[in-house]
Amino acid sequence: MSENFVERARYLCSLGGAAATVTALSGGIPILHSASGCAGNFAWTQNGGSGLQVGGYCGGLTVPSSNIQETEVVFGGEDRLREEIASTLKVMKGGLYVVLTGCVPEVIGDDIFAVLNDFRGEGVPIIGAVTGGFRGDSYWGYDLVLQALVKDYVAKGAAKVKGRVNLWGVVPYMDPFWRGNLEGARHLLELLGLEVNSFFTSADTLAGIREAGSAELNIVLSDLYGQGAAQVFQEKHGIPFVTTSLPIGVSASEAFLRQVGAALSLDPELVQQVIDREKRHYYQILEPLTDCYNDLDLQRYAVVVGDANYAVALTRFLADDLGWLPVLTVVTDRVHESGQPAIATRVERLASGFSTNVVFESDASQVLGHLNRVWPRAAGQKYYNSFSPAFVVGSSLDRELALQLGAPHLSVSFPVANRAVLDRGYTGFRGGLRLAEDVFGQIVANR
Amino acid sequence: MSYFDNKVPPKREDRLNAVIAHQDSICGLARKGKGGKSCLIDDGERGFTQGTICLLLPALAMLNSLPDNVVLLHSALGCGSCTHSQNANVRMGSNARRGKAQDGIWLSTALDETDVISGGEDKLERAIIEADRRYRPASITIVAGCVPGIIGDDIDGVAQRLQSQVSAKLLPVHCEGFKTKIWATAYDAVYHTIGRNLLVEKGVAEYTPQDELEVLREQERLARTVNLMNVSSMGRVDEQELERLLASLGLEVNVFPVFAHPDSFVKATRAALSISTCPTHDDYFLGYLEERFNVPSIIKHMPIGIENTSLWIRDVAKVFGFEEQAERLIAAEEAELREALAEFRPLFQGKKVFVSAGEFRALATARLLQEIGLEVVGIRSFHHDHFAEVEYEKLAREAKTDYVVDIANVQPFEEANLLNRLKPDLFLGHANGNMTAAKLGIPTHVIYNTGLAYIGYRGVYELARRLHRQLSNPAYNRNLAENLRLPYSDAWYEAEPFSYLNTRGRSVNE
Repeated sequence: MSENFVERARYLCSLGGAAATVTALSGGIPILHSASGCAGNFAWTQNGGSGLQVGGYCGGLTVPSSNIQETEVVFGGEDRLREEIASTLKVMKGGLYVVLTGCVPEVIGDDIFAVLNDFRGEGVPIIGAVTGGFRGDSYWGYDLVLQALVKDYVAKGAAKVKGRVNLWGVVPYMDPFWRGNLEGARHLLELLGLEVNSFFTSADTLAGIREAGSAELNIVLSDLYGQGAAQVFQEKHGIPFVTTSLPIGVSASEAFLRQVGAALSLDPELVQQVIDREKRHYYQILEPLTDCYNDLDLQRYAVVVGDANYAVALTRFLADDLGWLPVLTVVTDRVHESGQPAIATRVERLASGFSTNVVFESDASQVLGHLNRVWPRAAGQKYYNSFSPAFVVGSSLDRELALQLGAPHLSVSFPVANRAVLDRGYTGFRGGLRLAEDVFGQIVANR
Repeated sequence: MSYFDNKVPPKREDRLNAVIAHQDSICGLARKGKGGKSCLIDDGERGFTQGTICLLLPALAMLNSLPDNVVLLHSALGCGSCTHSQNANVRMGSNARRGKAQDGIWLSTALDETDVISGGEDKLERAIIEADRRYRPASITIVAGCVPGIIGDDIDGVAQRLQSQVSAKLLPVHCEGFKTKIWATAYDAVYHTIGRNLLVEKGVAEYTPQDELEVLREQERLARTVNLMNVSSMGRVDEQELERLLASLGLEVNVFPVFAHPDSFVKATRAALSISTCPTHDDYFLGYLEERFNVPSIIKHMPIGIENTSLWIRDVAKVFGFEEQAERLIAAEEAELREALAEFRPLFQGKKVFVSAGEFRALATARLLQEIGLEVVGIRSFHHDHFAEVEYEKLAREAKTDYVVDIANVQPFEEANLLNRLKPDLFLGHANGNMTAAKLGIPTHVIYNTGLAYIGYRGVYELARRLHRQLSNPAYNRNLAENLRLPYSDAWYEAEPFSYLNTRGRSVNE
């Protein structure tokens, strides 16, 4: 990982993540207070990275934006923002308007809250978040929007309702499989009889989000994404939270259900019944693959390259569910050193007993170097334990590595330029089956 | 003094009086052109605006294509993430030209809060040195986004300081998005650094020929070598069509600047002629080639459509005295094409079309659509400057009605309102710009895609063929319209489409 630059960053800036997050809310209208190019940059990025998904009800080039210029840099942009909000309310039909700032107005010191509080005073459903690009990446932008929702939109003082939970930690568009992954995790919770607000699925509504303060537990499917919001939720609404990894596949789903069950003090027998039923179903489906799994020798060495959610969850799935050998796990987020152990320990104690090597590296061109350190290259020996047969699960940027290794490849983590993703998801028991289909499908593509 | 003597190129609103907010009609703009006044349109302002792009995006589309170049963005983390989609073009383009799909390399100094306060020049210096060592590129384009423009980082100074310490050529490019509202300034920004840094071969001794015959041959070859100026929205398939036409006039072709190797630009100074394919794209650079290296240029028509392609060829032929040859070529090409188009015409007859894109592309494509039998009922040009006058005249000449021209940097809300009134049968829009029409149920087609043919005679046929395909089954968009709604209020569809034009309390021209 370079200290001086990020190569082909696998994320946008915080404004980019924030805008995508608001677009993903039912009836959400982002209002950018930024230079004119930010929205277009996000649309182009999603076009190339989010599995062919660009925008939604109000995303892409449709988002209102103050498009500030040199004049505002000199005189300030608050008047322009006020005008833009007032016009937006006339032109755009939305349920919640969210003002998001870019670099330029922040550097010049515009105060968006001074402006939008006037509108709030008139009863307009509008909130704001300070998301200038230099503040962090798109995952942080997602967190900032959730924090704003929790602070300024979720109703305060709601009575807690037993069996009601909030779920987040999967970032819209940054995880191209966000819809499916949220739905898969939500489905797991519903198996336990829970009532779930997950913010961004088609089952979620703004009204449901307003009531989110009535939940008895928050579940964050990520060691990084949405952790800030979990803290704010706890402070403002007194709701505790549990952090889990993204439950991809049978082993992770089982652990997820047990963890949530324990946090909510659910009847362990009920949890066990659910797990037994789902596993029975899972293995019934997996059963007919057994011949070909053996005949075609479908076990693989693997390199996993992904964001903090995926790197962990994919490694675990490959090792514990498929019985593969993921020898290198590359976490592509720029995780502060203090945050690295929490992520690394998740793949250190795998149920299968297999252990991978975790590195934190954002730059695609450096992954081969890491692999060479983990698995030394041949030095002309007659007998050499080669890194073969291999598979690369990563992003479309990691195709180059797969080519160099002569290995098949599957894009899962952002950017996914070479797959069309709508609501496919890998979470839950069934998600594991989807992922198994996709990786085995790549191996046998030329069969 | 040339613009190229300055560190930063001028913005187009200053250099060309280009505008982005104006309501007019086809005849209105054509008339203004004839009176020589259209370049004097005062730019407007909108009181409601939607997000668009900035000059950084088209600049990166060019820079990412350069082989052996590393793009180093000096900005906040997100600037340049658009490259994730442009990279598809880089892969496809490198595969078409060099037989191997290759990813671009783009880096970001990812300026953070500390850098905003204490400046980012040190970080940039370290990034340049590391990039030079890690990738060993022929060039590093140092591209400034908004933040360095506000905090005052001097990318030219850094490049100058470091040039002697690195092996890559350092090319500063100014793309501070808030400084210009005309994205086409991007082309000037890229050409500016090419002009300042890549046109003089450094460290090469004077060419001393040994063999007189070789000298003569070389001179003869150069006398019929032309610079064909491509654009990043043009695929290899389009270049091949133009190369084919120029080769049939006996000309040798060098293609610049997109996908040209940084070391090859010096060749542009030795050609007999430069030929633009898009006047919006090239005037800044071709003017400089003419002024500094005496390479004359043609910058008038965009070879999209039958008439425009033929005019483009005629202009080139005239320079070399190949008029007769050109007329024979044109006659044969046009006859063959018209015959081939006959099968598509019945479906196009009486169908109305709305076109939206960068000004020249939109206008030249509109002309093409007229030629294949469609009726143009509206145009949205992303900006306006005087280069397009000739195109407005061509369109007005053939217009059935005095239809609307919306000068707007995208602004789909105006488009939704207009389309809802005009109800066209077909819409052609820019990349990421067909969504509004599609959700209204109008058959749509993208106005550029580097994998598809649009240019020359071949482009006319292929575009007609694709439009015929779209119109043969528009169910996809129809289904969208029946089941989705755009995010505009009902009141907005009832309001005048230009309600927000010039409602701002002030004007940039004050």
